[in-house]
Amino acid sequence: MNSRRPSQWVTERLSWWRLGSVESQQRMPARNPNAYLGVVALFLFGLQVASGVLLLMHYQSNSEHAYESVARIAGEYPYGDLVRGVHFFSGQLLVATLLLQLVVSVFRGAFTAPRELVWVSGVILASIAVAFAFTGSVLPWTNGAYVQARVGSQMVGYVPIIGPTLLRLLRCGDEVTSMTLQQVYGFHIAVLPAVFTFAVALHFYLTGAANRATVKSLEGARTIPVYPDGVVRMAAVAVGVLVIVISLATFVQRPLGNPADPAAASPALARPAWFFLPVHALLRSAPPTLLGVESARFIGGALTGLYVLAVALPFIDKRGSRVTSGIISGLLVIAALLAIHALN
Amino acid sequence: MTDDEKSKAGSQRRDFLGMAIVGTAAALGATAAVPGLAFLRPSSRRIPGSASAGRVQDFPVGTSRTILLDDKPVLVIRLPDGEFKAFSAVCTHLGCIVQYSQERSRIECPCHRGVFALDGHNVSGPPAKPLEPVKVEIESGTLIVRYA
Repeated sequence: MNSRRPSQWVTERLSWWRLGSVESQQRMPARNPNAYLGVVALFLFGLQVASGVLLLMHYQSNSEHAYESVARIAGEYPYGDLVRGVHFFSGQLLVATLLLQLVVSVFRGAFTAPRELVWVSGVILASIAVAFAFTGSVLPWTNGAYVQARVGSQMVGYVPIIGPTLLRLLRCGDEVTSMTLQQVYGFHIAVLPAVFTFAVALHFYLTGAANRATVKSLEGARTIPVYPDGVVRMAAVAVGVLVIVISLATFVQRPLGNPADPAAASPALARPAWFFLPVHALLRSAPPTLLGVESARFIGGALTGLYVLAVALPFIDKRGSRVTSGIISGLLVIAALLAIHALN
Repeated sequence: MTDDEKSKAGSQRRDFLGMAIVGTAAALGATAAVPGLAFLRPSSRRIPGSASAGRVQDFPVGTSRTILLDDKPVLVIRLPDGEFKAFSAVCTHLGCIVQYSQERSRIECPCHRGVFALDGHNVSGPPAKPLEPVKVEIESGTLIVRYA
C-alpha cells in the first residue's frame, strides 16, 4: 500500500482507467449535430453558473439598490463588465442553442420513437432557458427591465386557466412592485437553476436510454470512439464557444439605461429580447379584438396552444414526416419576418 | 410452502413495501406542498387609499404627472382649459405606463402604440378597453386622487 504512488491511489478509486480501456470503448455517431450542440449548451450553462455566482456576490435584489449595484458591477469592480457580458451572452446563446437543437431534431426526425421523452425534456430545457433570460433581464431594474416585467407578466396572465395565478405568483401581488423584483430574483437564482439541473440530468439519462435502445441503428452510420476522439472534438467545440462568448462580452457595448421609475412613462421603442420579437410584432399590429376576444388574450391563448402542440409533437407525428418539417420551416420564416417587422 | 409459493409471497411483500414507500413519499410531499404553496400566495391587502398629486397652483396647465396610488401608477392631467383628469396609467393592453401628449391632445402608450382620448377611451392601436378612471378632488388647494 505504502509503496504505491498517490496518483495510483486516486486512480483506483475513481476508475479513471476505465475511460480509455478497451472493454468500455463506447462509440458515438461522428456527424450528429445535436451531440455537439448539446455540448455547446452544457458548456454555456457552466459559464452561466460560474459568471452568475460571481454576479450574485455583488448584486442587490432590493429595488432601491438593484440598479445601482448593477451599475457598480459594470463600472467599478475589476472585470465586472466582462463577467456581466459573459453572463448575458452565454445566456442568449444558450437559448439560441437549445432552440436550434429542437429545429435540428425536427429536420432529422429525431423526436420519433424511442426518443419522444428526449424531445419533451428538450422542449422543457429550452423553456427554462427562456425563463432564465426573461427573469435575468428584469434584475438590473432599469426602466426597460421594469416595462418587460410589466408586459411579460401580463402576457403570462393570458395563459388560459392558470394564467391569473401565475401572474400573481410572478408579480407577488397584482401590481409590479419591489416585491416583484425579489420574487423574480428568487426564481432566477434558486428555482430555475435547480429545475434546469434536474432537467439536464433527465435529458442525458433519456438520451442514453434511447441510444441503448437503438444501438443497432448506429452500425450503418459513421462512428468514432467517445474517448479520445469524441472528447477531443467536444473540448475543441467548448474552446470555440468560450472564444465567441468572451469576444461578444468584450466588444459589444451594452448601455445599462435609466433606473426604473414606476411614475415615468414607458420608454418609446421598448422592445423585448430577440426571441420575443415575433410576439412583440403581433401584439403591436393586432386589432383590439380578434374573434371577439381581446387581441393580447387571443395571442396569449394561441401561443399556449402552439407550445402544447410543440411538447406533444412526438405523439402527433409518430414518423417524423416531411409535413412537420415543412410547417416548422414556414413558422421559422414567419417568425423571422415578424422579428424584422418588430425592429421597425 | 413450496418454492413457488415462497417466491410469490416474496414478490407480494416487495410490491406491498414498494407501494408503501411511494404512498408515504406522496403523502409527505402533499403535506409539505400545502403550507409551501399557501406561503407563496401573495397577501391581497388592499386598503383603498388616496394620494396627493401636489398643490393646484404648482400644476401648470397642459401638463401631466404620474403618481403612485396603492402601488399603482396614476396619470393626472391638467387640460389646457385648466380642468383636471386622472386615469390609471396602466395601459389596458399589456400594462405599460401611458403618457399624456399635449401637442396631439391624447394619451399614448409607447410600447405597442396604443392611443387613448382625453376622456380615457381607447381610440386606436391594440388596446380594447378604456383607461380606468380615477377621481380627482381639490381639498384646500391640494389635489387628492382616489379610485372612483
